[in-house]
Amino acid sequence: MIENGFNRRDFLKVLGWGGAVVALSGCGNTSVQDGAEIVTSYVEPPEYALPGIGVYFNSTCAQCDAGCSITGRVREGRVLKLEGNASSAINRGKLCGLGQAGVQAHYNPDRVREPLLRNGDKGEAITWDKALGLINEKLNGVKGDEIAFLTGAVSGHVKVLLKNYLEALGSKNHYAYDAVAPSVVRAANKKAYGVEMPRLRLDKAQVVVSFGADFLGAWVSPVHFSQEYAQFRKGSDGARGVLVQIESKMTLTGANADRWIAIRPGTEGILALGVINALDAAGLSLPADVAAVSKAYNAERVSKDTGVSAEQISKLATLLKARTPSLVIAGGAAEGYKHGSQNAAAIALLNRVLGNIGKTIEAPANVPFPQVAVTTGNRSSVQALNDSMANGKLKVLFSYGVNPVFTAPAALKFQDNLKKVSFKVVFANYLDETALAADLVLPLDSALEDWGTAVPEYLVEAAQLNIQQPLMEKLHAGTRGTGDILLALLKQRRANEYKDYEDFYSYLRSAVVKNKSALGGAGADDDTFWGETLSEGLVKLPASNGALSAKSSAAGLVLPAPAEEDSAYPLHLIPAVTANLRDGRHANQPWLQESPDPLTTIVWDSWVELHPKTAAKLGIVEGDIVEVTSRSGSVKAQAYLFPGIHPDAVSIPLGNGHTALGRWAKGVGINAFSLLDQVVDKDTGELALNETRVKIGKTGKRVMIVKDEGAAGGSQAGKKIAVSASTDEVELSGEV
Amino acid sequence: MHRFLCLSILLVGLFANTGSHATEVPPSISTADDLGPKVEQPIEFPHDRHAGPRNPADAADPSVPAKGGMEINCMYCHTGARRSAVAAIPPLQKCVGCHQTINSVRETPRIQKLFEYWDAKKPVPWKKVHDLPDFVRFNHERHIQRFVFAQNKPVQEACGYCHGDVKTMTVARRQKSLSMGWCVSCHEKDHPVDVAATKTTHGPNDCWQCHK
Repeated sequence: MIENGFNRRDFLKVLGWGGAVVALSGCGNTSVQDGAEIVTSYVEPPEYALPGIGVYFNSTCAQCDAGCSITGRVREGRVLKLEGNASSAINRGKLCGLGQAGVQAHYNPDRVREPLLRNGDKGEAITWDKALGLINEKLNGVKGDEIAFLTGAVSGHVKVLLKNYLEALGSKNHYAYDAVAPSVVRAANKKAYGVEMPRLRLDKAQVVVSFGADFLGAWVSPVHFSQEYAQFRKGSDGARGVLVQIESKMTLTGANADRWIAIRPGTEGILALGVINALDAAGLSLPADVAAVSKAYNAERVSKDTGVSAEQISKLATLLKARTPSLVIAGGAAEGYKHGSQNAAAIALLNRVLGNIGKTIEAPANVPFPQVAVTTGNRSSVQALNDSMANGKLKVLFSYGVNPVFTAPAALKFQDNLKKVSFKVVFANYLDETALAADLVLPLDSALEDWGTAVPEYLVEAAQLNIQQPLMEKLHAGTRGTGDILLALLKQRRANEYKDYEDFYSYLRSAVVKNKSALGGAGADDDTFWGETLSEGLVKLPASNGALSAKSSAAGLVLPAPAEEDSAYPLHLIPAVTANLRDGRHANQPWLQESPDPLTTIVWDSWVELHPKTAAKLGIVEGDIVEVTSRSGSVKAQAYLFPGIHPDAVSIPLGNGHTALGRWAKGVGINAFSLLDQVVDKDTGELALNETRVKIGKTGKRVMIVKDEGAAGGSQAGKKIAVSASTDEVELSGEV
Repeated sequence: MHRFLCLSILLVGLFANTGSHATEVPPSISTADDLGPKVEQPIEFPHDRHAGPRNPADAADPSVPAKGGMEINCMYCHTGARRSAVAAIPPLQKCVGCHQTINSVRETPRIQKLFEYWDAKKPVPWKKVHDLPDFVRFNHERHIQRFVFAQNKPVQEACGYCHGDVKTMTVARRQKSLSMGWCVSCHEKDHPVDVAATKTTHGPNDCWQCHK
């Protein structure tokens, strides 16, 4: 926003005169300094260390749950750069921008450095002995079902300790929460294929039809999918794969698609059945149960309901029939409705009638050790936790790796209910919104300082146990590893069982080495096996795939008619999960704020994405500060006009709008979670992220949007540099 | 007019700052010696004793105090010079490795101080004498490989191009300006590619060789 009276012309004039004066006075300096800095040498150097030469250690990325393996370059004892570890089948030596920013999570100046105990409004630094003693004391006389542990997705040996700790406390209340998890799709997959997350072979498909799965940006395992996508694009036999993306708001994947189809929000299932109907018309023989459901979805009706032209539908059916195998994916955009399960089920039917199950949809690898397999997070868990807090059933709550005060929908009143829990312990890297509501904050080691293991949800060829190991010494003496804290807490309860383990490292080493024969190290001596494991950064487990069981019937599948118009709140809010900020836990990493959003090029802020037609109707232009109001809340942000969104929809990216977390996150943008209504998917009870209806009003203020895109925006100053046309205007018969 | 005045003050302030800084260190692109200030070090390390020429009168027996130097190769201590961007200050272990057997100087104040650091397992806080700006990447390895190993120049001569005649100094002191012009003045010259070659090349003059 430019508020003062200077303009560019004045600035240049003054700069010109000033520059001349400076030039005359002479400039140029070398700032070579003598004796200003101290150079610290080793006292006793490790044998591999040579100043100026990098040493590489393997570990596991903890920025999201995809479980990519990383290699960190360490020089003079400091980790400088992360890259992908080529040994991992998941990311095959590659790493995304979010992963690269892992060093900023580590060096972040806003990390919590010592245990903090609430004293009024302030956190008072206390010792670890006191903190752990206090937990023990507060747990005395508290019944097991009055204790709960809230985490994100958790796997590996930390999960084992967590489970044992809860068992020692007699509690069964483990809530695994992930605000943007594909949890409805998981449930639908379980019904359709017998597994929650099958392997999706993009590389084997000739056509991929994605209903809003942003698999190149933020969905499940984007680095892996990007590589499979590259193979899909090359084509196995010279035929380049065709990607069709169907969604109401364009994602990064949508921007890469050959055909991007804007669909009326919530009608994805109807379109899937419409395509099945069109396939039937094109001569594909359908199973009787599917045909019975799809026969009502003729092109005319589907076109009217979804806003997708009949020609598009028939073209899509022709494409799917001509090129096999294909792959149809249901993603976040399809599942975010109260009939999300039905949408996902209808989309899965497409795979069934196209015969993709077993070809491009494969059984995932089995994890031979179920105790370390991942417990995935979902959204219904935080609702369940919220209910038991509201009822006053909980006395002690532990929270690790999640920030529900920020991410829970406003309608839950999570923060108010949290106050009813008398003792809240938060394991935290930063003082985020949830940590600020805690009674005791336990500061964690960063992911680059801590020990651990992880088994990712989306596995490739075989299961693998990812090793997380410190890439450098701890930056702050007062932080501790998650495993170490859990072990210390367990020792309070089961001293005998854990007395042999001085710290989590010794526990981890012994647990891995004990099972070396099952981990492919039979016959090796312990030290060699452990050394090789750490050097590799992961253990590949013997490959064994389960089987898919496609037993779902289409009978009983009912899709509701498209949502009726809501005159008070006419627009559908689609909160966007961006590749950089996801659910907002990384908002304090400035690289992620600074790297422009791939579609809008906006940096360091939130925005309200509107279709130009909708904006014109409302009299809104780019940069207008608009007020977006739902039944649950209201926010003000800059408007951005974007043709890649359905005119009935409005989108706000998630992740910004923190009131805490750190200097680069606090006060940047607005929090779209605070708008969400508490509407859930009927089958799974998962919060329906796209069900919130909003209205938009102008506030009269206008700003200049900070973005990389040229000042003329998408209009290219009227010069037609790269011309685009809506798919409806294109003669599709000549296209893919 | 008010606007112009405001902006002028703002910008003059900005440049006055860098301008005054510029006058502190006068630029020099000459290859002539350009002595840096004396730097106080925690231990006054005598380079001359370690690297200086032997006194023919000195006995071979190390237990007898020597008058002259020991002609130790620079790279015996600065081990990074031939294989890393930085020459590296030797680890304390290296100093102690020799000095624990050299009883003749064991009780001198400097060596006593050395062992104090060693016993406390603390590194000596040496002051950086040749500290280039952070936007300059100087690579020792390239220079030592070229001059010492390819051209077979004596080590002390090759190091001396930039560091001066260290074998005559106690505490090292900057001898050259280390300014960009000074670097370029040598990079512009033709140097034989190796000891036997008649072919010559000059040093790289791409910006990114040093500024990356």
